[in-house]
Amino acid sequence: MNHIKNASDAASRVNMLTRVIGRLKPVILGTAGTMFLASCATNAPQDTWQPKGPNAQKIDSLQKPVFAVAGIIGLIVAAAVTYSIIKFRDRGQPIPKQSHGNPALEITLTIIPALILAVVGVFTFRTVFDLNKTSDTQMIINVTGQQWWWEYDYPANNEYGITQPIITSGQLVIPVGTKVMLRETSRDVIHSYWIPALNGKRDAVPGRITINRIEADEPGIYAGQCTEFCGLSHANMRMEAVALSKEDFAKWVANQLKPYAAPAEGTLAKEGETVFLNQCTRCHQVNGLTRADGTPVIAAPDENVWSGAVPNLSHLMSRNTFAGAMFDLLTPECRNDVWKSDSASFGAKYLAGVSEPCLNQTDLRGWLRNAPAKKPMYANPAQLAATGGKYRGMPNLGLSESDIEKLVAYLLTLK
Amino acid sequence: MFTPGSKYLIAITGLSAVSFALYMLLVHPSAIGAVALIGLLAATSLLTGITLFTRDGHASEGQTSAAALDTPTPSMWPLVGAAGFALLLVGTITTPIVFIFGIVAMLAALVEWTVQAWSERSSADVAYNAQIRQRILNPIEYPILAAVGIAVIIFSFSRVMLAINKDAGAIIFIAAAAAISLVGVLISVRPQLKKSIVGTIAVVAALGLVGAGIAGMGVGMREELVVAAQEDHYAHKECGAEKSEHFDKGVSETISATSGADATIELIDGKLTAHAQGIEGLQDSITVRRSNPINIIFRNKDAGEFRLSAYLGKTKVADGVSEDLITCTQLLPQGAEQWLTFTIAKPSVSGEPYTLSIPGLAGQSVEVVVP
Repeated sequence: MNHIKNASDAASRVNMLTRVIGRLKPVILGTAGTMFLASCATNAPQDTWQPKGPNAQKIDSLQKPVFAVAGIIGLIVAAAVTYSIIKFRDRGQPIPKQSHGNPALEITLTIIPALILAVVGVFTFRTVFDLNKTSDTQMIINVTGQQWWWEYDYPANNEYGITQPIITSGQLVIPVGTKVMLRETSRDVIHSYWIPALNGKRDAVPGRITINRIEADEPGIYAGQCTEFCGLSHANMRMEAVALSKEDFAKWVANQLKPYAAPAEGTLAKEGETVFLNQCTRCHQVNGLTRADGTPVIAAPDENVWSGAVPNLSHLMSRNTFAGAMFDLLTPECRNDVWKSDSASFGAKYLAGVSEPCLNQTDLRGWLRNAPAKKPMYANPAQLAATGGKYRGMPNLGLSESDIEKLVAYLLTLK
Repeated sequence: MFTPGSKYLIAITGLSAVSFALYMLLVHPSAIGAVALIGLLAATSLLTGITLFTRDGHASEGQTSAAALDTPTPSMWPLVGAAGFALLLVGTITTPIVFIFGIVAMLAALVEWTVQAWSERSSADVAYNAQIRQRILNPIEYPILAAVGIAVIIFSFSRVMLAINKDAGAIIFIAAAAAISLVGVLISVRPQLKKSIVGTIAVVAALGLVGAGIAGMGVGMREELVVAAQEDHYAHKECGAEKSEHFDKGVSETISATSGADATIELIDGKLTAHAQGIEGLQDSITVRRSNPINIIFRNKDAGEFRLSAYLGKTKVADGVSEDLITCTQLLPQGAEQWLTFTIAKPSVSGEPYTLSIPGLAGQSVEVVVP
């Protein structure tokens, strides 16, 4: 009797499930359709299937055959399960004879997957070791993550004309055809650095240094994003790797090493420098900037910000982005002009930096007006107790429109 | 319209929402407790939605299963849930750990009671109901209980090892391992051994270990660990005469340390050399990140005892008065190595160069460049 009742209950549950699936059909089909259409996107700068460097190519060469094998196995399993569900579905028939153990079948079904995994494992280990090779490194860049932006500093390297360390943020600039080692770490929480077109992702962990190698085949901009959840603005912690020809990279280095040029007296930019000295240098460093008495200005982000660092704004307008690469410094038209240029003209367009007509005034002014409104950050002073009163991200400075006007004029001089 | 299951889940969802609101108002909006509560709220909302959508397993009005006519089995879970709720409320005004215990108790009660209530309504066969309850909950209960058991064992054992000296620790470790192996062999060669005997051995061993752990907590950590904690050896700033005998000279051998080194500084034949991680060859200077802990390994390969000293700029001690900020390793004999960790917040342009040097050894220093 119990068997009959159980069978009846089971049939009832199956019927209910069928009805539920029937009701959810539009939702399931809609979701599947959206996913399918999303896969057709052409403007996908973080596409993992389009390698632009040898390291990413190694990953691609591994993942495509593995994906194919896994896909075929997945389809076979799905087909077998679907066939079994339909063919042997419960129609109230008696439970068929149960059998236990079939050594030949079980051994076969163990050996075949083991062999497949062994073959995949051999190629995977080989790729992992290849990707971790560092002996032929040509350039080292320190990459430091913090909420929610990336800092890059270039140790002195005479071979590439880097006679003094260079510090920048948002955009990682590298020469093409160069094996670059990124030494990654973090100042606050765990982040993960990933430029899909150039290599796999690698965690940046506080207190540890992890190594990531990248190399770009062609000049261009390659987009990436932090891939380890790191707090409120994790989704806005972006990065771009800019690959320049070796000649253009040398020009970029020379520009970064240029001494600070103060704005001319009597200009709006000079007034902006004063505003910057009063409002911004508590945290932001501009190398070479001095006070009226000639003493160098040394910012103290360690006293004001939880991570202990904020972007160094020296040569800000040589970059194309700001605020953790969340916003473009260029207008959409000028940005497209740089991003869509061919390899031959890319370097010159990138090195031109940001001119006044190309400056994205809307986002930059909005940022200066109220940064936390543009990018979610822990800016509420009432909630800063956990960080000892230090900010996570840039607070709202309450600048007047006049000060913003002057600051924009000043920042435009930082090329 | 609403079935008993729906009413129950609606009530749990409401309770979750109230708890979440209370926590947001009384504790801290960005604390982990808020995340846990909003997760609970989301989960119960989903369950409620599904229950309403499926009309509580397609139970139509007027239809009552055979089991529903029976009196429900007595359950301890309402009591656990109530205790959890009390802990939750107490936790909001005391410490977060009490709050977390309250959440855990409420979650356990929620899951256990829900499944128990559901299983008892599935049929009139008590044995079948118990079986389906076990099929659902045992895969959750056993790993959790095992994890808790392992945590208790590890915690108790660690208290014992921290309380006794190193030599006794090694002996106890070997003795414990031998005893475990012996019991394992005994059970293996005598499979007919009564379950009650095996169970008794396990219970006695567990109680003994927990008792020893409690005793270890009562005794406290051994002296050298207490001294090391008081002297804060990881931020050792005393660069004069050696005072402590408890410094862990083997710390640099840990995997964590060696994988996080920025540079290795060696003293060989009176010369100081620097090898920055990832850069081939030796360097005159090392470039380090600002505002980030910098890890340096110092190896003394020279005859005699030397220490590495790091000049980290000046620090203001009073108005108009500043003094050098220096940190160093201990005096290391030939062949020894030690770890030095420091943080530099300001770029090198802020003043005199930051340096690594050997006190008493003129002309040998490595510049530390901070961009």
